[in-house]
Amino acid sequence: MDKIQVGIFFQDTQSHLKIRLANSPKGLVRDIPNKDIHRPGLALAGFLELFTYDRIQVLGNTEIRYLRSLSDFARKESLQKFFQFEIPCIIVSNSNEMPPELPAMADESGVAIFSTPFSTTELTHLLSDYLDHKFAPSQIVHASLVDVYGTGLLFTGRSGIGKSEIALDLVERGHRLVSDDVVTLTRTADNVLIGHGSELLKHFMEIRGVGIIDVGRMFGVRAIRQQKRVETEVELVDWSDEQDYERTGLDEHTKEYLGVTIPHVQLPIFPGKNITVIVETIALNLHLKVYGYHPAKEFGRALSDSMKTRTQLESYLEKDFE
Amino acid sequence: MITKDVTLINKLGLHIRPAAQFTKIASQYAASVFLSKDGIRINAKSIMGVMMLAANRGAVLKIECDGPDEQELMDKLVELIENKFYED
Repeated sequence: MDKIQVGIFFQDTQSHLKIRLANSPKGLVRDIPNKDIHRPGLALAGFLELFTYDRIQVLGNTEIRYLRSLSDFARKESLQKFFQFEIPCIIVSNSNEMPPELPAMADESGVAIFSTPFSTTELTHLLSDYLDHKFAPSQIVHASLVDVYGTGLLFTGRSGIGKSEIALDLVERGHRLVSDDVVTLTRTADNVLIGHGSELLKHFMEIRGVGIIDVGRMFGVRAIRQQKRVETEVELVDWSDEQDYERTGLDEHTKEYLGVTIPHVQLPIFPGKNITVIVETIALNLHLKVYGYHPAKEFGRALSDSMKTRTQLESYLEKDFE
Repeated sequence: MITKDVTLINKLGLHIRPAAQFTKIASQYAASVFLSKDGIRINAKSIMGVMMLAANRGAVLKIECDGPDEQELMDKLVELIENKFYED
């Protein structure tokens, strides 16, 4: 998302940031165009160069104490200059009592002003978390996301190839569905790809021939989860004799979403093939690799060792004249 | 690739049955179809995706078709929407 309306921000964070609106709701229609936060101490003191006015402005103890220390005239002047800028909204921390001009002048400029009991540091943490999440780059993909043994597997492939059926089969075997058919991917600040479903679709799923089913209701809470890190993409493809499929696991293929690279496995399917077991194997194999064990490389090593021993033995026996 | 903006004029918008009809047609063609509304863009061959748009009457949808039979598919989809999904 590239901006959030102040009203939506208020609705979302009201309870966990414990913010309350200290002036009229006029300012709720403004947009927050930036995910950063700013403490405008210097701007209030009159230094307006490089004033990052387009961020949420947090007034902590220092700013409020400073405003209070000014004469009525100077305070008004300082705030007048401050409100010349198109400020998204203001949050006052520590439930500091505001000078009476502050909410009134914010109102005149159409800026919402909130108050919270949290300290500035606590508020900054909570606020950054929320804003990072909201402003994270996102993308909708046509896929199903299932948590298989704790690994987030993203199933892609042409419509009708059987993504939902595989997801259902996995749920039957005790794995957890995140979302079917529509997955929203977001990239977090530390470059992790997170997938989640939509508010509306929840864990509903379409199974061809049956119709719409509710996995959450059918299999209970153990069968679902709200979001999951996406660790591997499993692309389901129709079996083709001409296509070369991975036989050894030595070459690892990757795919990129929102600038995050994840492993990519192409899985040819045909009727009667037990995809679910293969998919579980993919997940377990990934676990082994995470723990530092690479089966294909390990086997390769064993093979070279055995070849070496044999050559040594052969050359020994060759020269074993009696 | 061809694109077209269409306004929904049927009573229920893209509710379950209309969405099913839409995806049914979309799935019969080789061309890919994407639908977008309010910045959300989904694959129109997926019924769940189409319903996720929660597009009601009056909503403007952007249809994108890409592939060998794109024009025929686009015509069919537009015809379906303009005829109010033959329901009401």
